[in-house]
Amino acid sequence: MNLLIPLMVIVPILCALFLNLLHKKDRAIKAVTIILALALPALPLLANYGFHYFGGYEPLLQNPTLSSNLPSFITGGVLSTFHPAITYSFQSAQQLFVFILGLVGLLALFTSVYETRRPSGVYAYMLFMGIAAMTAILLTDDIFNLYVFFEIAALATVGIVLVSNIKGNYETALKYMILGSVAAPLLLLGIALLLGVTGNVNITDIIYSLKTGMVDPQNPVLLMACGLIVFGWLYGSGLPPFHTIKSAIYSKALPSGSAMIQAFSVFTFIALGIVILRIFSFLPLSQWVILGVSLLAMILGITMAIVQTDIKRMIGFLAVGELGYIGIGLGLGTAFGITAGLFQAVNEVMITALLFIGFGVVLYQTGISDTRKLGGLMVRNPGVALLVLLGGFAMAGVPPLNAFQSKLMLIQASIDAGFPELGVIMILLSIVTFMTFMKAFHTVYLRPKPADLEIKTETIPKATVISLVVLLVVCIIFGLFPQYVTSYLQPLATSLAGGVA
Amino acid sequence: MNLYDMIVKKIKDIQGVDEDPVTNLSTTSMLTAEITLIASVLVALVMLRHLNNILMIVAVLVVLVVFLTSMPIMGRLRKEQNDSLSSMMFYIIIALTIVITLFYWGNLNV
Repeated sequence: MNLLIPLMVIVPILCALFLNLLHKKDRAIKAVTIILALALPALPLLANYGFHYFGGYEPLLQNPTLSSNLPSFITGGVLSTFHPAITYSFQSAQQLFVFILGLVGLLALFTSVYETRRPSGVYAYMLFMGIAAMTAILLTDDIFNLYVFFEIAALATVGIVLVSNIKGNYETALKYMILGSVAAPLLLLGIALLLGVTGNVNITDIIYSLKTGMVDPQNPVLLMACGLIVFGWLYGSGLPPFHTIKSAIYSKALPSGSAMIQAFSVFTFIALGIVILRIFSFLPLSQWVILGVSLLAMILGITMAIVQTDIKRMIGFLAVGELGYIGIGLGLGTAFGITAGLFQAVNEVMITALLFIGFGVVLYQTGISDTRKLGGLMVRNPGVALLVLLGGFAMAGVPPLNAFQSKLMLIQASIDAGFPELGVIMILLSIVTFMTFMKAFHTVYLRPKPADLEIKTETIPKATVISLVVLLVVCIIFGLFPQYVTSYLQPLATSLAGGVA
Repeated sequence: MNLYDMIVKKIKDIQGVDEDPVTNLSTTSMLTAEITLIASVLVALVMLRHLNNILMIVAVLVVLVVFLTSMPIMGRLRKEQNDSLSSMMFYIIIALTIVITLFYWGNLNV
């Protein structure tokens, strides 16, 4: 048993509770937030791969001491292989995901405490709780435990927006909660149906039941459960028809909050996507639905992004579009495709965080995010403009940055899988992403400054610049050495592709 | 009236007078989005060849005709994808219906 595995979830929860107690003690919050946030990327690096069984209840098969005292009809049957406790699995892919989540969390917290005049303990609480929930979603092998943390992440998202103090934030948060009150119970109903049919909530055990014929895979209740879980997946990750509310949520949070919320969306997307692939891969339709929804997200997200006039809304829609690339990788169902999709997920989390924090500087200096009222900011901060420009290049897939490698892999994977059309669409939409970004960059930084635009004389916090540089350096390293990153993802991708095949 | 003016007029008609002013930048953005949308959907429809070649040809031709007769689509699409709770709820119910129908009847009857 590796105690660091549950600590990856427990530590952020404790940090959240502690920071909430420090509310209104500004200096203490600033110092404590930074110190505690350092643990987020450190823990996954220190933990060993393995499983953690809560309460110490491992499967009987692995516990000869306990099974020796039990009757043979229990120890000799299938019951001995089942997982009686909530199980967390920590392998190389989870290590990479939790590390990236922790890194983006650290930088978001670091930026937030220096960009706001009075650091809020409640805001830090929401960020830490969201990180804890997302870490649990990535680690858990228990679908009900996943749902609980899915709800906590949704509440943390609403909390981040509510605390952000941006015009219209309450209304948007309320809408998100109302839509969530429709979608999340349906996800729970799907899980309940799955439990009713298989008698289990452990994903590995559910798959075992399906593969060994203990449960009829064509059971209509099981099919209904799959549909409801897919619907919950659409809500959690902001895929159509939830893309409009998700992009609105991004635009109503502080830049550091938006960076975190998009990370939550991406990791929810891959966590639930992996669950769907693992359990329901025997249904050919599940892959087609993943492909179809991803394609729709790509097309709608990117075409809607280009017609936006608000920078945060534009990045929000681009983030939705980029989710589509990840889904294409998962939907292809090949080991190479899934690796490419997961690699794209890691890249997207960092690039979108870079863009939210980078364009957040514009908001910090002018208080405006409407591109029609902005201009001439290149003269004020050319360094930040360069960092944002490189972030935009990364998102569009310009070599040698990280998304170039993942998008190239995705195009190769789609051709290998017999879907060259997907490759054509991905190239076309990458070009439009580039154009969308350049349009925003031109209006904000390059065109002459409007006469009525007031720019604060305050210098940009060093924390923001450091965060941008760190994110960009990671993007460049991942772009130059993609095989280093993909080696962490391949074992998971191969096991998923084995299930699909 | 040249083609560009016609496009601007059409966008103004769809947006209505209360919306933001139609500028060169917004017109070119709308045009790019329109072309991207049509091209992507048509290329995506080519994937129907995996099911049936004739179905693919028919689908591409029908969608092409629909697109050409109802242009500009992007203006309407943008107007439709607003932040109104009722319209979001409408599309959510539609999506739920499609997903459940696909999984329930699709898997049992295909």
